[in-house]
Amino acid sequence: MRRARTLPVPDPHADAFAGKEAFALPGVRPLRVHLLLALVAVLAAVLVGASQGSVDIPFTTVVRILVSKVLGLGSVTWPETWEEIIWQIRLPRVLLAGLVGATLAFSGAAYQGILRNPLADPYLIGVAAGAGLGATIVLVSPLPYAFGTLSLLPPAAFVGAVLAVSISYGLARSGGVAPNVTLILAGVAVSAAATSAMSFLIMANHERVATVLSWLLGGFNTATWQKVGIVLPYSLVGGVAVLASARLLNVLQLDEEEAQQLGVPVERVKLLVIVAASLATAAAVSVSGLIGFVGLIVPHTVRLLWGFDYRRLVPMSMAVGAVFLILADLAARSVLSPSEVPVGVITALCGAPFFLWLLRRHRPACSAGRRAVF
Amino acid sequence: MRRFPLLGILLTLFIALTLALTACGEEERPAVGPEPTAAATDFPVTVTRSDGHELTIAEAPQRIASLSPAATEVLYAVGAGPQIVATDLQSDYPAEAGNTTKLDAFQPNLEAIAGVEADLIIIASNQDDIVQALDRLGETVLFLEVPETIDGVMEQVRLLARASGHAEEGERLAQEMKERIEAVTGRLADVEEGPRVYHELDTTFFTVAPNSFVGDFYNLLKARNIAEGAPTAYPQLSQEEILDRDPEVIILADADAGESPQTVKARPGWGVISAVKNDRIYVLDPDVVSRPGPRMVEGLEQLARFLYPEKFP
Repeated sequence: MRRARTLPVPDPHADAFAGKEAFALPGVRPLRVHLLLALVAVLAAVLVGASQGSVDIPFTTVVRILVSKVLGLGSVTWPETWEEIIWQIRLPRVLLAGLVGATLAFSGAAYQGILRNPLADPYLIGVAAGAGLGATIVLVSPLPYAFGTLSLLPPAAFVGAVLAVSISYGLARSGGVAPNVTLILAGVAVSAAATSAMSFLIMANHERVATVLSWLLGGFNTATWQKVGIVLPYSLVGGVAVLASARLLNVLQLDEEEAQQLGVPVERVKLLVIVAASLATAAAVSVSGLIGFVGLIVPHTVRLLWGFDYRRLVPMSMAVGAVFLILADLAARSVLSPSEVPVGVITALCGAPFFLWLLRRHRPACSAGRRAVF
Repeated sequence: MRRFPLLGILLTLFIALTLALTACGEEERPAVGPEPTAAATDFPVTVTRSDGHELTIAEAPQRIASLSPAATEVLYAVGAGPQIVATDLQSDYPAEAGNTTKLDAFQPNLEAIAGVEADLIIIASNQDDIVQALDRLGETVLFLEVPETIDGVMEQVRLLARASGHAEEGERLAQEMKERIEAVTGRLADVEEGPRVYHELDTTFFTVAPNSFVGDFYNLLKARNIAEGAPTAYPQLSQEEILDRDPEVIILADADAGESPQTVKARPGWGVISAVKNDRIYVLDPDVVSRPGPRMVEGLEQLARFLYPEKFP
């Protein structure tokens, strides 16, 4: 990340960028400071998430359980149930929420950047509808969907998501290029087809409607270390790929033709970022269901707060997404205790007013930035 | 005709087909059985629907359409089976219900329902205002929502029996159900507090609260439902709450999703739960308890065996 601070702005488009902070709002701190603060915020959120819940466990005990589990220090003076709640249920749940939040947020930023469309989110070109259809097929089929601890749901959702995106991309691509508008339209059409197939399956098997709906709304009530393990590799690889493309994403914001002239292999970058973001989102969705709002709003919030530079936008989106979803999930499992509230309801209910407030507060600064694409 | 052989053939075909179809159509409508199955003397019968409307049934119905799986079971149990001409897609018990004309109760088709020409239509769920739509057509619609308590089921058994002309059989069935329930609760007279129980509806930990229909079974069996205090009748419990509330018995109503005592034992963290430690995880056929019909007594007896194996060997 050091590179980001010292990177000289490439000369050919110096006039368009006018300095490395061209995308950032005035008075924004150096990236290194931001990344440090973000890391602290994420760790704090994990600790808060792990120590709070519907079951009351003293904070010091939570810390001691974590220390004993991670470092193998201290003697066990707490009930076994508490240890299992912290280590087998809350911690994987918090980490999964953080991981999924980060993944949805960076994928959202990547999609918005690559499609140059402010309404883009990670679900736009088929991931959500494909995953939903895949999961629904498994849920309504008369066959059991779990064999021992092995559930068919995540692979089915993952395959559905990847298939849907592939079809969208395949339909949009002709002569080696996939124009943005065509790609979005293909995505919308494929999503509509998958969604209507899904609706039909749900209606035809309405005794399962609660189960399907509960999956679609998403949540982390069934989080396990195994699920964290499923998502982690995809999120890591996808995240690194999108982070590495941050500079190119900046250039792409100019204009695809201009970027092409500047030597950016536009189509290849586009394909790489779409593959990276889609695979990561598909993996996240396959274990958590369709949690809305995070992928759309978090990148915009980061833009409003810290500017348009993708080298800052991508990592900060990851952090904000993780913190946001960890806290939303904490609310989901506490407000109606002992019941759960679907986390998607919380993300929209709390996120939307906050975002609108931010939008109004920052509007002048925003339009004073670069040309108002976002 | 020689100049238009094709036309001739088509015309002949058309006439033949029309005749065949008409014949089929006539065959389809079975004549009313020679022996009256319902006691005609009790009519007219007046019953109160779930929407408060007083419904008067003038004569013993001979063509009943039941758009409620529970009502279907009750009707067959009181001997109204021969009068049933149509049932909904979910009515799969008893097996004879499969031989009737099938209707969709979840996405009701007004034309299809009116088309069976029933003289009594029983509906449990007013999807798309189908009750009002059928009322406007002048159909006799008995709108009965699914009862929420065991007492409510008995009441509905009697009501359905009366409406179909089998009041006596209905009284007998309700009495028999009541006796079987009392046989179960009688053995629990000395139980102060039963075991803590978790009833799993699906793999994301949806369950039944004490104020739900299935929850009422556990109330009757004096079990302590771990979902007590939940804000809704069918809440989704936090996994950590399930561990903390430590059920002594786990009842699985989601075996069709692949869950079994083995998969529950294998869940991370669940090893601390008493039911898992003591191997008290049981699989229940969800239809038996979730359908408020005559079979619910079997469900109650089965749950009693799960909760108190020593009292119900």
